Amino acid sequence: MAKEKTKSHFVGVRLTEKQKKALYTLQKNSDLSKTDILLRGLEILSEYYALGLDQPPLNIELKKLEEEAIQHLKALKQIKRREESVKQMIQELREVDEIIDEYGGEKNALIQILLKIQEKNHWLPKPALLWVSERLSIPMSQILHIATFYKSFSLEPHGEHLVRICLGTACHVRSGPKILEAAEQYLGIRSGETTSDTKFSLESVNCLGCCALGPVMMIDNEYHGKLTPSQVPDILSSYRIGELTMTEEQQKLAPIAQRPTPQQQR
Amino acid sequence: MTKFSQPKDLEQYRQTLQKQRDTKKTCISICSGTGCHAYASEKVVSAFEDQLKKQNLTNMVDMKRTGCHGFCEKGPIVVIHPHNYCYVKVKPDDVPEIITQTIQQGKPVNRLLYEDPETGKKIALETDIPFYKNQTRLIFGNNRKIDPKSIDDYITLDGYKALVKTLTKMTPQQVLDEVKKANLRGRGGGGFPTGRKWETTKNASAEPKYVIVNCDEGDPGAYMDRSLMEGNPHSVLEGLIIGAYAIGAHEGFIYVRQEYPLAVENTEHAIKKAEEYGLLGKNILSSGFDFTIKVHRGAGAFVSGESSALMSAIEGRVGEPRPKYIHTAVSGLWNKPTCLNNVETWANVPFIINNSAQWFTSMGTPNSTGTKIFSLVGNVNNTGLVEVPMGITLREIIYKIGGGIPNGKHLKAVQTGGPSGGCIPEKYLDLPVDFDELYNIGSMMGSGGMIVMDEDTCMVDIARYFVNFLSQESCGKCLPCREGLRQMTRILNDITAGKAFEEDLELLEDLSEVVQMSALCALGQSAPNPVLSTIKYFRDEYEAHLRGECPSKVCKALINYTIDSTKCKGCGLCLKSCSVKAISGEKKGIHHIDNERCIKCGNCLESCKFNAVLKTTGKQILVAKR
Repeated sequence: MAKEKTKSHFVGVRLTEKQKKALYTLQKNSDLSKTDILLRGLEILSEYYALGLDQPPLNIELKKLEEEAIQHLKALKQIKRREESVKQMIQELREVDEIIDEYGGEKNALIQILLKIQEKNHWLPKPALLWVSERLSIPMSQILHIATFYKSFSLEPHGEHLVRICLGTACHVRSGPKILEAAEQYLGIRSGETTSDTKFSLESVNCLGCCALGPVMMIDNEYHGKLTPSQVPDILSSYRIGELTMTEEQQKLAPIAQRPTPQQQR
Repeated sequence: MTKFSQPKDLEQYRQTLQKQRDTKKTCISICSGTGCHAYASEKVVSAFEDQLKKQNLTNMVDMKRTGCHGFCEKGPIVVIHPHNYCYVKVKPDDVPEIITQTIQQGKPVNRLLYEDPETGKKIALETDIPFYKNQTRLIFGNNRKIDPKSIDDYITLDGYKALVKTLTKMTPQQVLDEVKKANLRGRGGGGFPTGRKWETTKNASAEPKYVIVNCDEGDPGAYMDRSLMEGNPHSVLEGLIIGAYAIGAHEGFIYVRQEYPLAVENTEHAIKKAEEYGLLGKNILSSGFDFTIKVHRGAGAFVSGESSALMSAIEGRVGEPRPKYIHTAVSGLWNKPTCLNNVETWANVPFIINNSAQWFTSMGTPNSTGTKIFSLVGNVNNTGLVEVPMGITLREIIYKIGGGIPNGKHLKAVQTGGPSGGCIPEKYLDLPVDFDELYNIGSMMGSGGMIVMDEDTCMVDIARYFVNFLSQESCGKCLPCREGLRQMTRILNDITAGKAFEEDLELLEDLSEVVQMSALCALGQSAPNPVLSTIKYFRDEYEAHLRGECPSKVCKALINYTIDSTKCKGCGLCLKSCSVKAISGEKKGIHHIDNERCIKCGNCLESCKFNAVLKTTGKQILVAKR
């Protein structure tokens, strides 16, 4: 409502330099932000246009104001984005903190802590590892030793869907390797890699513990058993359909944190 | 629920539970083990819930999600009590029929019953199915009767009775003597006498002492520990508490693979419940004995299943083994005396205490007492978990329980003991299965993986697979294992690729012996077993490979696909299935495979309806390659 009032106050009034200055001081003293003022100035000027009060000096003023406004908007967006990323980082570190506290900050629990971080992020981001190193006063080299020794840890982000193909003995004798080949061929990547559109990560595992279903492929938490190589492309492609809410271009641009997780999409 | 402070409170509670139990009430028990879960048993559960609600039967019928029943081949499995009808391969759409037929009228649904492949007859009762009938289900028996999340279920079925007996009537020494008398041997692989291990830890002078459950079941093709931990975690807890009492430990760890999320969840839940009931914690049942358990998740490393490596992992370090000049039983976790046993070993303890050592030794052979759970997998009709008394023959397991080899094929070998075990040829099928007999023929009991291989399995390829697996899982600490296995993999790769020479086979044998003798831990020491056992029993296959033939037609470099011109009808199916466009030919004309382009995926063979695609192996292929 207050907005309306100020607006009506200026409508139809032609501003001189003096008046403009006065207006600025007036607005400076008010608690409006700079963007608000600029936006309001633009509003007023546009009304001038509408009233047919178009005059050369005014036009120049308008342009200047416009440019300034755009500059400020850009800066504001940048600041907001920076703020968001810093917040996100702090949030992530806070989560790491919570995990560490859950285990009472005990050095012995390092592997358990890393497992929880891996579970949350699907990988081990470096800032998180540095933070763990700092909090538990364990040298980074030792942490990386563990992170590279155990299979559950990944130092690179995974794709949206984790495709795991069992190459355990029971699946091996039931032609598991052929399933892996079929998946590699369809996705165009090798085991241990992620597709360029970050949709799929492919892994081979040594036993999923459901040998009756062999050969088995597990995508996220779903099992696909008793497979033949020819079924693999169809199953994998079903994970692409209906999940593309962003265009491919957008997906590439979107930072990882903003990408919808598979759970959200479903 | 209040804590039980006295043993008699627990007994009273058990009696009330048993009285409350209405044996005549209908109970639907649905297997929710990992195998059935993968077959979407959850959907069957929700279908039952919906239908029961719709028909207002919720109060008249109990429903139970149980642990693994073991018959994973036919999942999801549904058993309806008190009739004991067992339905296999149940789909959500079958649920309404089961409710109207069985639950309301008490009649079985014929089409869902198990069909005996030999006689073609339908078998209604779970206990009559040959797969179950020929087993001795001791440790695994309660899995199908218990909801793993309910401690009351376990208590009703005499759970924690052995603990009460231990704490009230037995001294730690008596418990130890009983286990020693039972001659229980470690079920994790080595077969070390459990009683002796306990005694060493008990007599070690340092304090505190620790006990550990090893559920780092990394063997590909074995999942019995998983099913036990998921399906009946309290039996393991009870065994562990009794063991800790005998040894004098007050802290225990359960090391579970992170790849088994349900096992982790159920174990943690069971510990919480046991604490609530006062069966864990301070002054258990007023006996003055304190004991706590922590769950430690393994992060995926096969070698971490080795006892000293596992202890390093619990300490938060890299799971690498160390030389065991001093046994872990004397200096283990944080250099304190530590007793580590496998899941199944601990689960045996309550049975021994309840029924006496004498009863236990009546099962099995004199040197291998009791029962053993095997995971029977591979080319066998009834894949699943099998519990049998020690000393039973392989033939009985594979043919009587396992139902033989699918598609009328011939058995070639049985692989026992996981990657470190050996391949047993058909001629030893009548050998009694126990620790020593298996060791004598170059294999081992291991944790109980039993992989059946049919005639289409190439033994050299299997040896290559295992050595490759182990060389990847080698921690790299000691040279014989790190380098030896790598070189062995190279030679085996050469053999399967047709690039090896005669002297390579000798080299392979020499290398195997060196690794066996000089590696630091059991992983390296036993890694050559698959190679040595296959060379011993299937030397002809190795020699055939050296000649450029793969008798089972598996090794890609040694096989060719051709099209039989007399059988080809020119339908074009193979042409469509070929992903590398190696097949040419016009419609209704004879097709041809270009061997330069062919990647030997076998898609054409799979797609041909006239058996016109042939797989061949022989010298000419090798000559062309060289």
